[in-house]
Amino acid sequence: MMRLLVVDDEADICDFVKKFFKERDFEVEIAYDGKEAVSRIEARKPHIVLLDIRMPVMDGFETLKAIQRIDNNIRVIMVTAVEDVELAEETKSRGAAEYITKPLLLEQLERTVLTIAEQIKMAAEW
Amino acid sequence: MAEKHKVSTSYEDNWLKLQDWIVEKMKSCDGALIPMDSENIKQRQEPELDYQFFLESASRTMIRFKRPERLIRMIVKILDEQVKVTHTAMLMYKKEKDSFILLDSKGAEGTKIPVGFIRMTFDNPLIRLFHEQHNFKISETGAIGYKELLDLLQRNEDVKKDEELVELMELSIKQMELLKATICVPVYYKKGLRGVFVLGKKLSNVKFSRQEIGFFTTLANDVAMALSNAELIQDLQEKIFEVHNLYEREHRIFIHTSISLAAAIDARDPYTHGHTERVTRYALAIAEELEDLPEANMYKNFRETLHISGLLHDVGKIGVPDSILNKKGQLTGDEYEKVKEHSVTGAAILYPIRELGDIAREVRAHHERFDGNGYPDGLKGETIPFIARIIAVADTFDAITSDRPYRQKKMAEVAIQIIKDNSGTQFDPIVVSGFLLAHRKGKLSNSV
Repeated sequence: MMRLLVVDDEADICDFVKKFFKERDFEVEIAYDGKEAVSRIEARKPHIVLLDIRMPVMDGFETLKAIQRIDNNIRVIMVTAVEDVELAEETKSRGAAEYITKPLLLEQLERTVLTIAEQIKMAAEW
Repeated sequence: MAEKHKVSTSYEDNWLKLQDWIVEKMKSCDGALIPMDSENIKQRQEPELDYQFFLESASRTMIRFKRPERLIRMIVKILDEQVKVTHTAMLMYKKEKDSFILLDSKGAEGTKIPVGFIRMTFDNPLIRLFHEQHNFKISETGAIGYKELLDLLQRNEDVKKDEELVELMELSIKQMELLKATICVPVYYKKGLRGVFVLGKKLSNVKFSRQEIGFFTTLANDVAMALSNAELIQDLQEKIFEVHNLYEREHRIFIHTSISLAAAIDARDPYTHGHTERVTRYALAIAEELEDLPEANMYKNFRETLHISGLLHDVGKIGVPDSILNKKGQLTGDEYEKVKEHSVTGAAILYPIRELGDIAREVRAHHERFDGNGYPDGLKGETIPFIARIIAVADTFDAITSDRPYRQKKMAEVAIQIIKDNSGTQFDPIVVSGFLLAHRKGKLSNSV
């Protein structure tokens, strides 16, 4: 089963996204900040991480770097406010797979995650 | 602008009180909403009316408020508490994002759609279905049910003929699945889609009744009404602001034009140089003491009318020949008659200008006497316009205290004595008392 880690300091968002992807046959875990995300990833590696850029404790940039240190193959999708598009572009140059802006189009969230999941599956079969 | 906020705060206070009241009421009517099933009709009729009644009357009240978001939040809250659904949400159109954003949302953990997390644009099939009003082809109320969409697509032959509609319905089904919506109720305003109420499943798993759906439609209409009213209020405030600015600007131009005109008049008469400006100043100082009198309140804008009347009171001197204006020594009887014409001439100049209609009246009467022995009309007492009575005193005061070709400058004290002596005969005693007050306060000094 495809494993997804949702990292966001807003519990509502975590819960919603968790349920959303569970219904799409993902195994979903939640972390409320970057530090928690790192320890979860160290315990069990996810295939995909949905990572909010603006978070307390450890922001999206730092968390991205930490994830890459653990395993460079983990695909990270950045989630960011519309105002932070430049920041999001920046994360892509630093190795994030994709980014989505909030408020987001649900089908875009679905498509982005599913597409990346497909890519991972295909790469594995190859 | 600050004023505006003050008003809205007190509205909000009232609103909060109202909301508390409604919530209290709702709590006290136990079982306000009992699941709808056909076997249970008698039992549920009364309590059900309760919650609908409160929500309806509350929303009627709230329609008047300036912030429709408040109404929406209350509706979402009460629907969540009373209708007992998995989740409730309201998508509202936001101009600055050109998309529909989740304004409020309630529901169980994970089912609740986080506020501000998602958006929908006009490309979204569900939004299109509503915005392009395809929903009315398949639903009487405009509300769309998930199950109904599925049924229609399977069974209805007419619907199947409309390919575009079928495609839109299929895609909308997918959208409703994303939102886990059982029912979506559109909010229209000015023929455009402005919002969508999203309702999840009832916790009881029972279908929504026609009556309930009808009620949701009513609420949606109330929201539309609230939006419309809020927009009207906003527009009105902008208009008022605009008109106010325009008025200020015109007023400034007007005063400046009057000042220029007054300066032109003064320039023709070297002996009365600055007369107009001083008379206006004195008249304004006297008026300040008399502002609360009913006579002053009879004017739509007392100060402004007085200001312009003062500036223009001698405009008619344009018709008096230079030879008379500049003459040293006493004027002959004929010459004096010519000078006396200036109040009538002035009024005749100003009268055709609509905005100066009132001022023409004042200019014509500024040489009338309180005892009726003045000119040109021999008006008496209160029949003389009030501003003209004030200008008469200011005019005389300046004439005595300024150098004129035919007499030496007199001291202000002498002038004041003369004005006092003529109170009730030449001058209105009320105006004289205002004049004396202004003098005592030092507002009548000759220098600017």
